[in-house]
Amino acid sequence: MALNNFADLLIEADKTGRALDDIFLEEEAAERELPRDRVFQVFLERWAVMKDSVRRGLAGGKSFSGLVGGDARKIIEFTEGGDIAGGRLLARSIAYSIAVLEENSRMGIIVAAPTAGAAGMVPGTLLAMAEERGFDDAHTARGLVVAGGFGALIAAKAELSGAAGGCQAEQGVGASMAAGALTFLLGGTPRMSVHASALTLQNTLGLACDPVAGLVEVPCVVRNGFTAMLAVTGAQAALAGVESVIPMDEVVEAMVKIGEAMPRSLKETADGGLAMTPTGCRIRNELYQIR
Amino acid sequence: MVGPSSSHTAGACRLSRVARLLLEEEPVEARFELHSAFAKTMRGHGTDRALVAGALGMEVDDPRLKDALDLARQRGLGFVLKPKNMGPEAHPNSVAIHLKGPTRAISVLGASIGGGMIEIREVDGFPVSLSARDPCLLLFYEDRPGVVMRASEIIARRGINIASMEVLRRGKGDEAFMRIDLDAPLPPEDVDAMKEMPGVRRVHVLDRVAGGAPIT
Repeated sequence: MALNNFADLLIEADKTGRALDDIFLEEEAAERELPRDRVFQVFLERWAVMKDSVRRGLAGGKSFSGLVGGDARKIIEFTEGGDIAGGRLLARSIAYSIAVLEENSRMGIIVAAPTAGAAGMVPGTLLAMAEERGFDDAHTARGLVVAGGFGALIAAKAELSGAAGGCQAEQGVGASMAAGALTFLLGGTPRMSVHASALTLQNTLGLACDPVAGLVEVPCVVRNGFTAMLAVTGAQAALAGVESVIPMDEVVEAMVKIGEAMPRSLKETADGGLAMTPTGCRIRNELYQIR
Repeated sequence: MVGPSSSHTAGACRLSRVARLLLEEEPVEARFELHSAFAKTMRGHGTDRALVAGALGMEVDDPRLKDALDLARQRGLGFVLKPKNMGPEAHPNSVAIHLKGPTRAISVLGASIGGGMIEIREVDGFPVSLSARDPCLLLFYEDRPGVVMRASEIIARRGINIASMEVLRRGKGDEAFMRIDLDAPLPPEDVDAMKEMPGVRRVHVLDRVAGGAPIT
């Protein structure tokens, strides 16, 4: 991508008055030497896989380990019964995001966004919002272009893996991408989208990657629901005019530095945190001694 | 892709697939040495299945990936996975892959750097820098004058731009190695012409192994 950072992106948007999806699509088309409509077609195809992964996730059973599976459906059934703590949009955002990760834990096909362990928030929140507002696929996929563009800008500066940056670099980034896309889909300005992203990312900083038994299940699956809520919060705040005091590019830099400072035990080694609690150890021992 | 982890499943599969493509024949033996985070969460993250799947030539979205260990046994591929401490400087998601086929063997050292992206750090002992996102050529040849020029001439005649390039050798007049990243894939007849160049031992083609599915 010729764009280097979020500051450049906002300068480009201000100068030309172009929408974020327009800027990103043109960049990608130029980079790949392909027509724009062909590139957009790929986003539509990815969106179809994402929606299908939510559907399969809601319908599926337990993971191989038996630790997760079925929670997304629980939330949806509870919600349809009218017992809602935070409104239908939030309930669906949470449930759909968890559904994708439940499908991932069964090694079903998903779209990494930006990673597999953080694949829930982008499709989960975008689908819930599309249903709430009646957006068609063509419109929602424009949001996916924005999410992808934001992810690419972050990935240009930070390695997106739990092993290098902890969970902040996976689910923090996934939620941040979703927040920018939601803000865009709801008619926010480019500046609002970037602030939504910055607000969301900064509120996941320091998040450890401490998966029980080295699986992508506990806490990863349910956490996708929790960080989905952060994405909706980020969009809500930014659309209302709340701005991040620390600019997005600096938030990304802070994330990288925090990732470097984190001990190895909290970076996808299952050597610390939840993985090393008495229950976490017991689950690991049972899982690997029996099999 | 098939999960559960983009770095520990998809990235691992791609690293191993690169080794399989470089071997250019069905492997009968595979040995994987896993460093740090790769070794620690190997089973939980499906890294074992993904590495074996890649050695069998699978792509990251192949639904058979989860059955790769059984498939390997059916196809007669023997495999060993073991942890190996590569030191504090090595990337936590590093793996050394050693594949053996009926007629040849290859060793690849690489790291999975997040979101399914990879970096190959070593091929048969040559320290390389390869992301496999662009169409790429790898040449092994005898260190002698003119090879770089003749190779780039073939590419230039086809009107293809060279994005980046590295040239290494074990010693003066010894075995040499060239990596050429291209903006577009080189047609097979040109690759054959390269194989015919004096001093060239082997030419490998990697077409966007880690660049997502090529869009046409």
